[in-house]
Amino acid sequence: MSRWLLRRALQAVATLAVAIALLFLLMRAAPGDPLFRLSADRPISQKEAEVLRARYGLDQPVGKQLLAFAGGLARGDLGVSIEYGRPVTALLVERLPATILLGGSVLLLNFTVGLWLGVRQAVRRGRREDRWLTTLSLTGYAMPSFWLGLVLAWLVGVEWRLLPAAGMQDPLLSSDAGVLERAGDVLRHLVLPVLTLSVVSIAATMRYQRAAMLEVLHLPYIVTARAKGLPERVVTWRHAWRNALFPVITLFGLWLPILVTGSVFVEAVFAWPGLGSLAAGAVGSRDYPLLMGASLLVAALVVVGGFLTDVTYALLDPRVRLG
Amino acid sequence: MGTVSAATRWRARLALVAVLTAWGSGRAGAQSTHANATGIVIVVGQQATTPVPTLMEGAANSIGNQDVADQLFLRLAELGPNLVTVGERDFVPALARSWTRRDSTTLVFELDPRARWHDGAPVTARDVVFTFKRAKNPDLAPRVSELLRQITSVTAEGDSRVVFRFARPYAEQFYDATYHVAPIPAHLLDSIPPDWVSRSSFAASPVGSGPYRWVRSVPGQFVELAAVPDFFLGKPKIERVILRTAVEPSARLNLLLSGQADAMDIIPPPSVNQVAADTTVRLIAVPSSTMGYLLFNQRDPKNRVRPHPILADSRVRRAIRLGLDRRQLVQAVFGSQGMVPYGPVSQLLWIRHRSPRAEAPNVSEARRLLAATGWGDSDADGTLDRDGRPLRLVLSVPNTSGIRRQMALLIQEQLRRIGIQIEIQQLEFPIYLERRAAGDFDVDFSSVSQDPSPSGLTQGWACTGGNNVAGYCDRGLDSLMEQAIGGRGDPGEKWIEALRRIEEDAAATFLYAPAFMYAVNRRFRGVTITPQSAWLSLRKWSVSPVPAAGRSR
Repeated sequence: MSRWLLRRALQAVATLAVAIALLFLLMRAAPGDPLFRLSADRPISQKEAEVLRARYGLDQPVGKQLLAFAGGLARGDLGVSIEYGRPVTALLVERLPATILLGGSVLLLNFTVGLWLGVRQAVRRGRREDRWLTTLSLTGYAMPSFWLGLVLAWLVGVEWRLLPAAGMQDPLLSSDAGVLERAGDVLRHLVLPVLTLSVVSIAATMRYQRAAMLEVLHLPYIVTARAKGLPERVVTWRHAWRNALFPVITLFGLWLPILVTGSVFVEAVFAWPGLGSLAAGAVGSRDYPLLMGASLLVAALVVVGGFLTDVTYALLDPRVRLG
Repeated sequence: MGTVSAATRWRARLALVAVLTAWGSGRAGAQSTHANATGIVIVVGQQATTPVPTLMEGAANSIGNQDVADQLFLRLAELGPNLVTVGERDFVPALARSWTRRDSTTLVFELDPRARWHDGAPVTARDVVFTFKRAKNPDLAPRVSELLRQITSVTAEGDSRVVFRFARPYAEQFYDATYHVAPIPAHLLDSIPPDWVSRSSFAASPVGSGPYRWVRSVPGQFVELAAVPDFFLGKPKIERVILRTAVEPSARLNLLLSGQADAMDIIPPPSVNQVAADTTVRLIAVPSSTMGYLLFNQRDPKNRVRPHPILADSRVRRAIRLGLDRRQLVQAVFGSQGMVPYGPVSQLLWIRHRSPRAEAPNVSEARRLLAATGWGDSDADGTLDRDGRPLRLVLSVPNTSGIRRQMALLIQEQLRRIGIQIEIQQLEFPIYLERRAAGDFDVDFSSVSQDPSPSGLTQGWACTGGNNVAGYCDRGLDSLMEQAIGGRGDPGEKWIEALRRIEEDAAATFLYAPAFMYAVNRRFRGVTITPQSAWLSLRKWSVSPVPAAGRSR
């Protein structure tokens, strides 16, 4: 097992290295120069352009820039953002908590409520509850999250004023507010973005889980379990659900990078200070260092997601590591 | 364990929803900014990252940084209400309480002895000398050093007198000495190597001399400032200022209309009516520094050595201008808040008050000019042609600008009526800019943001201007602009003559110079918004103790 794990981990590291190199080169090959953005509406002199180009290492050949980036990466230094004039690592660290909070809440809801509803649907297949939930999940799945976000922000935030329309915290909250009050404040701001993202993601999980459960529920060992007189709850959750988890584990691996990339629009609509909006801004301004930092994070999440999926499969099914 | 009926479970869920709803609605009331009776929350599109004069270079030269820097750091003098950048008469004392002129190249400022840094240290002539030494270093401040190139020396005479010497006599000496950079504290910065300032604790928590001091910055969310109680020009009445960031305009609008913010800058034109319907806020039109125009390429984009096959002829360029009903275009996009400029002049430039009115459309004259240059509709397909080639031009538009995309469609339709076929090419912003800089366009839908001084016009319109991407060159115009900047007599007259020359040659078609709409909650009194920096006069605003009445739509 440990040898298999080591081999799989090395594969993951190699994949990540190739992804980083490709990202770096593709970014440089794409049209658009970060310094042109600076002259978008205020002319910059040639001298100013030269100084800035040298400051950010853009006057060096691409190969040299790649080496410098790799050297910096080895030291944990991702360079300085052209747009913000600050170290990229500091910017990513600042924005990471908001992203983890938003994405983590969505994942948590997704893999609790989504799984539970999916199982419930499968167990009640063909009944009215199943039909309703199918309709609701398909509606949710078909709904563009940015549109839903705009509608929720307007209705709940502006018209009804039930919850904050945007932001992550109330800047007017007293500096001597307690931890509970602060947590409550963040929670109120979190509701709408989480709801927006969850509607789509829960719908997908429900569909996956329902289909997987339906396959398992017809297998002979379930019939045997029922014939033994086990309660239906035990049959469903202890016997059927465990085996119906595999497709959902794959789904979890796929969802992990969406923590960052999937929330770009929702972060914009709700002014949520996460990594998604930071990365989107970096694309528009060709802020290479920041773009590389964000891409690196997403690439790492993709690789880690794949790695975790494989390891979980291997833990649950010995045939995987034997194969 | 006893069993729980389905009905009981549903009742429990409904109760949970009710509790959550009550909690949400109860807390939403506390969200109102009125909870903070002496503060203001302004929602802005950019967060300040390094609001420190001399550090605002490259991308840091942003509105977000400028807005905060203007509250933290006081200039020697501020531009007056007429925004006249020539001479000294229109300026208002700030850090300097008075000034005199020793000769045509020497200005002397007397600092106000009451001025203090936020740490209590007095502002001295040494601070001013230190600031200009940093600002004139092209390796540290390439943008500002270029703007200050005419200042040959800045020296101190005692603690409160600063002497500026200039390379030559010119009309904007005072503007150059006061507008581009505000003094920074030498006693806090002289021990930090210049390269390290942007990463120092000073940059993270700047100490200035302005009406507000730095409190904190929450990345991606807001910057908080607090009034300086013993500010020497009078304690600001608004004690707490929060500049809350929301990049997306719809999020900014929601923050304003939900009561989470008290003020918002630059309301997008399509949303103005929506904001106007909210009776708790007032809308204020503020002249903007923005100006939009169709820039005609003088050179062939495929071979820059050759003249443009269609647009090198000024009669075609003039025909395009006459074929456009520019007032209609402005009305369609900006409503009553826009104007058609005469020459490349935004509403911010003082010379606009002296310029003639823009030429009215004249379709028959446009057709005559095109016919005179050999363009006719030989195949009667509605598009003019010459030597078998249609009169077809590509209009480059950045896909990020809704205003320009909308206006481009109207332009396409108006020019179709005189037989000119316009192909709109929407480009991703960085690609648009790259092609523009390379001169790879027929007609570029340009938009610029101007400084209050007209001398910036040389960048775009002088033969060697750094932003002259169309290859336009008129030595007579260069000479006029040179005389306006550095010559004696009335610079206004020279500038108007230069504008007339640009218009007559139809180097571009100038389309719009809008005013932007700002929204401010009605509980604020004495509200004035300065065009060159929106929140500059915030210290003079006051706040009504009684919250404004509820919204109605």
